[in-house]
Amino acid sequence: MEIQEKAKEICPTTAQKWIAEGAILVDVREQEEVQTLAYDVPNLIHIPLSVFEERYQEIPKDKKVIMACKGGGRSLKATYYLLNHGYDKENVVNMQHGIIRWVQRGFPTKGDTSSILNTSGDCCSNTNCC
Amino acid sequence: MQYISYFYEILNKKLNRLSNMKTIKILGTGCSKCKQTEANVKDAIAQLNIEANVIKVEDIQEIMAYNVLTTPVLVVDEQIKIKGRVAQTNEIIEILKQS
Repeated sequence: MEIQEKAKEICPTTAQKWIAEGAILVDVREQEEVQTLAYDVPNLIHIPLSVFEERYQEIPKDKKVIMACKGGGRSLKATYYLLNHGYDKENVVNMQHGIIRWVQRGFPTKGDTSSILNTSGDCCSNTNCC
Repeated sequence: MQYISYFYEILNKKLNRLSNMKTIKILGTGCSKCKQTEANVKDAIAQLNIEANVIKVEDIQEIMAYNVLTTPVLVVDEQIKIKGRVAQTNEIIEILKQS
């Protein structure tokens, strides 16, 4: 078994700077989670983790990409998956703490933030996570 | 002399068992499904009365070396057998018999 290269991670504040410079945010949460509360950013791609293997090629290889979810766990897996499929580790990063920290920082969203603020940071409290 | 040959026989049997010993890995970040899979693996080993090297892998970097998006994952001798769900004891028994 080969040693996995470590993925880069950034905080939501740094993610905001990347987005302002044109980076794409890839949300890997499931459909029902996004319907309740979504990231409100200009360049957004939604690919749920449950279909990520079939759809990951929709993510461009030549652009800066920020992977995101609810708490940062699922998106970290997706980040590694992309690195294992030829994406550049300088271009693909995971956003730590997900939409929970994003909301806490007051960054733009669409939907009901109370659903996030009233939950724990445990990514695995969601279905399809583990 | 008789004792020495007896000793070698025992030693050979032990070495054979060790060389045939399977390495079973449970990949998962520590959720309840991963813990259940680990318990089922131990149950299967006990039912088969075999020795096996059971390793729980919780580090995400190590898990992703197997390129899996959904956990828990059951790995036997570095081969992914079941991923994304809890492996049942009877399934694990069959896998261990076949591999």
